[in-house]
Amino acid sequence: MTVAIDRITRPATDANPLAETGHRKIGLGVGFLGLLIAMVVAGLAIAAVIQVGDAGSEDTVGQLLAVAFGLNTVALATIKTGIAIILIGILVRLWTRAHGISAALPGLKAPTEDQVHVPASGTMETPFGTCDVTEKAPEALRIHTMAKTLWAPMLVMGLMLVAAGFVVALVWAGNIGSDPETAIGASAWAQGLQFLGEAMVLAGISFLLGSILGGLRGAGGSVQAGLDLPVQTLQMPKTAKVFIGLMVAGMMVAIVQFAGYIVTTTFDNAVDVATWFAFLGPLRELALGLLLGGIVLALATIGNVLGFQFWRIRGIITTGS
Amino acid sequence: MTTATTEFNTQTAATPPAEILPHKAGRRLWFPMFLMALMGFGIGIVLAGFRADAVNSGNVQDTAALGQFVPAFMFIGFAAVFAAIAFAIARILGAFRAGGSGMQHATGNEVKTLTMPPTGRAFIGLMAMGMMLIVGAVVLHLIVGTLIATGSDSALSNSEQWSIWLEVARRFGVSTYLLSIALGLATIITVVRFQSVRIKEIVASR
Repeated sequence: MTVAIDRITRPATDANPLAETGHRKIGLGVGFLGLLIAMVVAGLAIAAVIQVGDAGSEDTVGQLLAVAFGLNTVALATIKTGIAIILIGILVRLWTRAHGISAALPGLKAPTEDQVHVPASGTMETPFGTCDVTEKAPEALRIHTMAKTLWAPMLVMGLMLVAAGFVVALVWAGNIGSDPETAIGASAWAQGLQFLGEAMVLAGISFLLGSILGGLRGAGGSVQAGLDLPVQTLQMPKTAKVFIGLMVAGMMVAIVQFAGYIVTTTFDNAVDVATWFAFLGPLRELALGLLLGGIVLALATIGNVLGFQFWRIRGIITTGS
Repeated sequence: MTTATTEFNTQTAATPPAEILPHKAGRRLWFPMFLMALMGFGIGIVLAGFRADAVNSGNVQDTAALGQFVPAFMFIGFAAVFAAIAFAIARILGAFRAGGSGMQHATGNEVKTLTMPPTGRAFIGLMAMGMMLIVGAVVLHLIVGTLIATGSDSALSNSEQWSIWLEVARRFGVSTYLLSIALGLATIITVVRFQSVRIKEIVASR
């Protein structure tokens, strides 16, 4: 499977840098589709609030809100899918850029006699943090290999759960008024499933960001090794470590909220269900918040690694080492 | 000379250009926003515990008031975390601009930088729109929650309507914000593509 995923994210070494890969346009198209669905959701919710104002049927209000809930999560998952497609495009583009730099640097670097001494191995301080110096390009970190393998399954499973949750939300809406017990059970399943799905989609995006970090590390190492220079690789920054922690915490909370919703389907007391729902709603949002917090740190790490790589390239061009 | 970079709107200078405001804001603000998000989520989840207790004990006024305060704080968290993501993306774009121009300068060539692409402008515009929707909803949640907590019968009887209206605004704000993030990432693709082409151009000109 890793080989199949590699084909999606790694272009040929002679790929034309000017050619459009289509990821940007497709990703934005999917994102705008998500916004359109969000507009439909807003329409449904406004219809519900008008019903409340006109003292309309409580059942109709409940049905409109149930469908709006299910469809809103679909809208958010659709936009996130667009984001994931664009991230794949960034990954592809970064490899094309690395190939271009590999080909260009031999002609751009300073002559050998201008080289300054850099230790062949060990560690050194840079403006972007401590880096390891090695003779060969470093091996991929386990977390990067894991990210490369898992982003696609996480995205697909997440989208499947969101879709399944939407179907259950329709069952929830269909039973409001006619079968309250089934409606409450379906509402618990719909909320639990859809937010577990949302969390998995965000985890897929986090793994894609991890793959970008792995790609930057691998490409940076191979460019330097290809020039027979000591390979300088930034050590994992604190932001990357906390990113992993937040992602794991977010997934754990997402699983806990899902389990909590399933537990509520065993209750026969409406007050108990309402009490649990009052806490599970914010808890599922906390899960997404933690995953989003991890994504912030992953992006910050990418910014830092890019700064380091440009600093290193400038060094090679001006000093030859 | 016609070059490959003519497909892009660029500006040319002899030295690397100064950092632009969105990149400066991105560099300085991503971390404070991240911390604010953690605080918002933390307070929101604690209040959710109190609300669950109010629901269990049948306290209608506290349930309704906290029903406004909980989403207010959770969405302070979401507004801040989305802002942190947007600022982190701006920081990446800043790293590309500073690094790419520094690299060109080091080769002794003129420095070409991309002018802000349409996706970059749309990124900032939609981000502002999403932020205003979410923050507006948060402020109204806090006002309605305070009115209910201080004993306003009118606010209490209309709390369901308020909740639905404000949920509409919050949901649409989140969708808009997410789309702005997609636009920001799409801008990164444009920038990386330009840089790949520019590197090839520099080598070809030697």
